[in-house]
Amino acid sequence: MRLLSTRRARTAVVAIAVGSLALTACGGDSDSQTKDDSKTQDDAKEQSEAVAYGDAEASKGPAAPVEGSREGGTIRVYQQTDFSHLDPGQIYVSDAGLLSVLIHRGLTTFVEDDEGGLTVVGDIATDSGTPSEGGKVWTFTLKDGIKDEDGDPIDSGDVRHTVERLYAKHITDGPTYLQQWLSGEGTKYREALPEGPYNGDHLPDDVLETPDDKTVVFKFDTPRPDLPQALAMAGYSIVPEEKDTKEKYDQKPTAIGPYKIDEVNSGKNMKLVRNDEWSAETDPKRHAFVDGWDITFNHDRVDQSKRLAADRGDAKNGIQFSGAVDTSQIKSIVSNEETNARTIKGYAPYVWQLNMNMDRIKDKKIRDAITYALPNADILRPDGGSYGGEPAGGLLAPTVPGYEKGYDPYGKIENPQGDIEKAKELLKEAGAEGQSLVYGYANVPHRQEQAIIIEKALEKAGFEVEKKEIDQATYYERVGKVDNGLDIYMTGWGQDWPSISTVIPPLYDGDQLADGSAVYSHINDDKVNSEIDRILKITDPEEATTEWQKLHRYIVEEINPAAPLYFTKQLQIHGSNVGGARYSSEKSYIDVSRLFLKS
Amino acid sequence: MLRFLIRRLSSAFVILILISAFTFLIFFAAPRDPAVLACGKNCTEAAKDIIRDNLGLNDPIAQQYWEFMRGIVMGRDFSVGRCDAPCLGVSFNTDLMVWDTIVDRLPLTLSLSLGGLVIFLTLGLGAGLMAAAKKGTVTDKTLSSMSLVFSSMQIYFLGPIVLGALVFSSGIMESPRYVPITEDPLGWFTGLLIPWFVMALIFTAQYTRMSRSSMIEQLQEEHVRTARAKGMSRPYVFFRYAWRGSLIPIVTILGMDLGALLGGAIVTEMTFSLAGIGRLAVDAVTNIDLPLTMGVMLIGATFILMCNVVVDAAYAYIDPRVRLG
Amino acid sequence: MTSPPQAATAGNDTTTAGESASLTEEKTDTTQGTTAGRSPGQLMWMRFKRDRTGVIAGCVVIFFFAIAALAPVVGWIYGKDPYTFYGLEDMSLLDPFGYPTGSPGGVSGDHWFGVEPDLGRDVMMQLLYGMRTSLYTAVPVTIVSVILGVLLGLVGGFFGGKTDYWIGRVTDFFMALPSQLFLISTMPVVVALFVAPDKETPVYVRFLAMLIILSFLGWMGMARLVRSATLSLREREFVEAAKVSGASRWRILRKELLPNLYTPILVQGTLMLPMAILSVAFLSYVGIGYTEPTPDWGRMFQRAGEIYQDNPVYMLFPGIAMVIFIVSFNLLGDSVRDAIDPKAGR
Repeated sequence: MRLLSTRRARTAVVAIAVGSLALTACGGDSDSQTKDDSKTQDDAKEQSEAVAYGDAEASKGPAAPVEGSREGGTIRVYQQTDFSHLDPGQIYVSDAGLLSVLIHRGLTTFVEDDEGGLTVVGDIATDSGTPSEGGKVWTFTLKDGIKDEDGDPIDSGDVRHTVERLYAKHITDGPTYLQQWLSGEGTKYREALPEGPYNGDHLPDDVLETPDDKTVVFKFDTPRPDLPQALAMAGYSIVPEEKDTKEKYDQKPTAIGPYKIDEVNSGKNMKLVRNDEWSAETDPKRHAFVDGWDITFNHDRVDQSKRLAADRGDAKNGIQFSGAVDTSQIKSIVSNEETNARTIKGYAPYVWQLNMNMDRIKDKKIRDAITYALPNADILRPDGGSYGGEPAGGLLAPTVPGYEKGYDPYGKIENPQGDIEKAKELLKEAGAEGQSLVYGYANVPHRQEQAIIIEKALEKAGFEVEKKEIDQATYYERVGKVDNGLDIYMTGWGQDWPSISTVIPPLYDGDQLADGSAVYSHINDDKVNSEIDRILKITDPEEATTEWQKLHRYIVEEINPAAPLYFTKQLQIHGSNVGGARYSSEKSYIDVSRLFLKS
Repeated sequence: MLRFLIRRLSSAFVILILISAFTFLIFFAAPRDPAVLACGKNCTEAAKDIIRDNLGLNDPIAQQYWEFMRGIVMGRDFSVGRCDAPCLGVSFNTDLMVWDTIVDRLPLTLSLSLGGLVIFLTLGLGAGLMAAAKKGTVTDKTLSSMSLVFSSMQIYFLGPIVLGALVFSSGIMESPRYVPITEDPLGWFTGLLIPWFVMALIFTAQYTRMSRSSMIEQLQEEHVRTARAKGMSRPYVFFRYAWRGSLIPIVTILGMDLGALLGGAIVTEMTFSLAGIGRLAVDAVTNIDLPLTMGVMLIGATFILMCNVVVDAAYAYIDPRVRLG
Repeated sequence: MTSPPQAATAGNDTTTAGESASLTEEKTDTTQGTTAGRSPGQLMWMRFKRDRTGVIAGCVVIFFFAIAALAPVVGWIYGKDPYTFYGLEDMSLLDPFGYPTGSPGGVSGDHWFGVEPDLGRDVMMQLLYGMRTSLYTAVPVTIVSVILGVLLGLVGGFFGGKTDYWIGRVTDFFMALPSQLFLISTMPVVVALFVAPDKETPVYVRFLAMLIILSFLGWMGMARLVRSATLSLREREFVEAAKVSGASRWRILRKELLPNLYTPILVQGTLMLPMAILSVAFLSYVGIGYTEPTPDWGRMFQRAGEIYQDNPVYMLFPGIAMVIFIVSFNLLGDSVRDAIDPKAGR
């Protein structure tokens, strides 16, 4: 669980945020009971459809036109820290994920309509892939005219290289879905190609086949219906074989996207300029309206927010990349009409939940008592209040297809202050009054504040709480240990692509429980485990989504491994001269593929 | 002089080695595993082991230390490239050469501390002299009480007040930022003006107090009074005799302050969102970045030790009774 | 602009008297000269009483210590405590953004210094208890540093030779440590030494960790001062006389040397206390000091620094309290020094 570049900031667990559900700008009503003024907030659609898979027509360039767009100018980007990685194979987190839209391209990618509906289309492939043998074999054909920044064409050998280099030892940070699907779970896949492709070894043809220059065939032992979505992750972007410099590639990658890196001063700034070898005709997703990007680092969130809100000089052309409006600035920015008009808002894909270690808290009544006692709205306050998120009723985020709006079995949305009486009652029934709970939390100010709110509520309900602070940097490692010595602890999780299959299996599949796994609640339920195996094989996305929903309800209502706390929201601000700004439900940040400067 | 230098430098060298060993030990005593930070989602033990291997953390501590120290003298080869001496290793977090990172951040820290120094030293010593010369008058009382109040303030209190007044509510000035002086001298100056101003307010006050009391003390020294009694002019005695003597305690404190400032002014940099050595140091510790921690620790200690040597040498210049050697 | 060195400079005069004396050893120590007739303590007290500023400053300092020590009593009279979330109990105190409603900072008849954003605790109670935390930490830190410094300084100065040499080198080592960085990197290690990984870190462990680290970094000035004073005392006749009459080394240290060192130790000690307070505040400011819910002065600044634009009042009260406290302490230090050494005549 790589902590995003803003490790010290508010976000914690981070995967590449691939949201699906869009927030239409219709200003739906907020259904929380707290009186808050965040009604202007966008609202999630009631239920999202599964992601559509685009055909060859949808995969053709150029991208859909943007109203009022013009060419020219340089966009200023204010970032807190340098990008964690530039080598695609190492990119998992959102900051570099956003940059990769501009410089990298993969086999597939997501395109987004104005309502935020997502379609997977071919990026350098002609379509989103052709499944055969019931989804076990996937064939991709490459488009003509795809070149890297030096003008060298990309062929199937480069795709093979891209996959095979992920097996090498120096690739440690990126996603591992594809490798594991091809060559085995855990780190076992590395044994298939311990040195990567660097000394001439290759994956056998019954795993990855490149019959000619234009064709790539992936062969799995079980159906992998999600492959096109997985391949759209930044971590699977193409690395041309001749340009690969192994470890050094992380400093200077070769661009295939519309921009290339012109200048990097690590830790200080980065300049992107047009990549003349990129052709809009081949690209269904990206525009390249501006001539370049000028990115500077070391602007913390407060600084970013203040500069952009003030809108002076350079900042008129400025945006935030993976930064957000600092919680301390939300009030002044949102309550001013002019600055508020320059914000983009939407749901981030994270659900914060209070995991209950099921090895230690075995009685469901006690877990229910904890769940009822928690004052979700109060807990949300230190993390940004109603603009930072909203109380959650279930364990799925509004950004994932299959999210059910208003699903609230424990009354967390209806009664966000918590139900102490009900908790007391349940605790009494369980005969566990005075039960002691060890609460682990990351030792940063807002988590400390949340800790005392949670402690107070649980003590009111009749628990004894022992708080254990954990170093922020190693927090997820600590709670991810099977023998973590803790009873309850908060974690946040976001999907890797818009499908419940990247949420429920990693978090609730008891078969995966091991040190470092994300099964934080230590749930190990036979029915859940077998259902997960079954649903993962369903190739029809609609059907799979329905089945996932049922499983989600079962987990929440019958097992209750984790109390839902809150969904997070995204709030970013940009300069007044930036046009085409909208929320990208795929990245859960500003959509950088379509920005232009008004003058 | 040469003997003095050799002796002081060699003892500084020993101290640096001790500090490096100490930092190394503390790092490994901490219950924090740096591999965790470079490990993706679903980080397993096996995956962490590969990272530890990449970082060289699986070798015995003594060997790691030896390689680190040898690298400073001989340079080292890393997978990301050759690291020339003085090589402080490669950051766990950014994969960049620690030396380059420090060199990169140094201009800001230098500008911040030396620029501030010029301001507060000039103003502080000047005001102190003035107050001492006019001891007991309104000027003295105003200067003394102002300096008393400001010297009791902290950056994290005064900084936000000044920022709020000059930047965010009135918009008179831009937020502090750093532009290299070689690129844009005016931008460099205006960008750092607020931090200098706040630093100067606090430090000037301290140096005013110090310079005043030290001057007053000196003016009562026998040799100064004798000089006056012999009929030398007041300004001559004031500057030639008393001022020179009054500098000794000031130089001591100045040396300490400068050493600490050059090693990274953590609070100043945090308050003004500037990324110098101080911010780097905090990042290094939070990110469990051993080579970077070692780097900033050693750089900080080097500055402190250098300033000590300079201060002692300065004594000999100011006070003829002090002999080096 | 680092807090500890800053505080060090705030108390320049005495430190430097010691420093320069140690460097220019032929300069005789002036603080010891005026002891004939009445006891130095009596003389000092008489002079101190005449200094009105000093007396007022002293009263302010005592007042601060008193309200810190009596914070629970104040809370009882005032009817609040530092742990209750008034803003969460009474939803009208905070707006949807978590900031206090009504007058700036939420200052009202109920909450004299306002309410804290987000959690809605009472700022006055937070501040009083926070000062209490700071003082309760800083005073022991000062005492331990003083004891360490006096001991090492005495031993080094009195025995001289190899002992002195090695103590000197150790002093050099600690003085060369970048102190703030050292604080940040060692705090977690020391805390981890004491606590089992699945137990709550008790407040006293944090206290102990701070005590250990801050005292470790705080004794050097005192040691140098005491060493140089001891060096000059060692050669005096009365010490020679005691030696000749067969007094043990221990007795000489305790009965002959130490009484003559009380005044410089006292002066240096009063200067070390504000320094310790600022160091404790620094630790909390960078987020490694006391954790919630222990009220803490430094953490208030850290929080206030984030929100001062929308809620400046939250910074005002802790800030002003700190300025008044440090000013008074500096004034008191000046007066004490004047009382001891009237020659400085300010």
